[in-house]
Amino acid sequence: MTRTEDLVRRLPNDIGGLPAEPIQQVDHQLEPWEKRCHALADVLDFHKIINTEEKRCGVEALGAEVIGKLTYYERWIVAFTNILFRKGILTPTELALKMEEVDVRYSDQG
Amino acid sequence: MPRQHHDHDGADEHAHAGISEPERPGYYEIMETAVRELLIEKRLISADEIRRQIEVLDSRTPALGAKVVARAWVDPDFRARLLANGRAACEEFGISFYDDTSLIVLENIDQVHNLIVCTLCSCYPRPVLGLPPDWYKLKPYRARAVSEPRVVLAEFGTIIPNDVEVRVHDLTAVVRYLVLPKRPAGTEHYSEEELAALVTRDAMIGVIPVTIDKGTVAP
Repeated sequence: MTRTEDLVRRLPNDIGGLPAEPIQQVDHQLEPWEKRCHALADVLDFHKIINTEEKRCGVEALGAEVIGKLTYYERWIVAFTNILFRKGILTPTELALKMEEVDVRYSDQG
Repeated sequence: MPRQHHDHDGADEHAHAGISEPERPGYYEIMETAVRELLIEKRLISADEIRRQIEVLDSRTPALGAKVVARAWVDPDFRARLLANGRAACEEFGISFYDDTSLIVLENIDQVHNLIVCTLCSCYPRPVLGLPPDWYKLKPYRARAVSEPRVVLAEFGTIIPNDVEVRVHDLTAVVRYLVLPKRPAGTEHYSEEELAALVTRDAMIGVIPVTIDKGTVAP
């Protein structure tokens, strides 16, 4: 019998109390874009566009595989885009076009 | 968790870049830039706000929390106010709270050792400590701190005697905790500034005590 109920009882963020590996005391200096991403999160919170709990839920909604494979701030920015789509603040097309534009600009600079 | 992580999902399109070229922004950095610029174009946020918030983030380090702890050690009235309302006492001390959070300060005493964790994500007393270290945000600490705190503490070299209660506090989006460590013995003649220099980030998370030799060996 597959234990699907384990998937339902705990959402991906709900890991308190689970067995896990020994703690490795790792840390890293934030890259500039990661710090900008953090500042963006704070500013979105100030303007009540996305609050902290919405952000946490937005990360959780990415699902276990995405959460497991993306880094911390990668999860944040993807969660923000999903929330902004859902709230009708951005559209996927708009974002895709802007990302192309940014990519070309970065390439030209490079 | 540096950049090489991108390779997991093939999201980094820049693997073809020659080793001598500067690294081009990855997919998620492009996404961050695009989202930020779109929101600025729509006048929902401003570039100035982002820049100012980066400055705020840069201004928050564990040295701030250390000053609060040292003041609490030398000023019993401040300590009482800090324990009564952490946020108000920190604000009185000149530390602004840029987020909409309350702060509860947990005092370590002979019978009680406190430890903070955010099991669901990465909540942290950012206004007074800055951003959390990576290990605080990763699964091993978040998962195990609540179920086997003494084992976790031992991995940080901290052995808590069995007759001392260990209390683990799980932060939320709106309620943040800060540990007020025990003042180490032998510091009776230290100035407030000298005391602050002993207080580390990890001591204010609660994973190590404050020691005179600053974290080399736990008592």
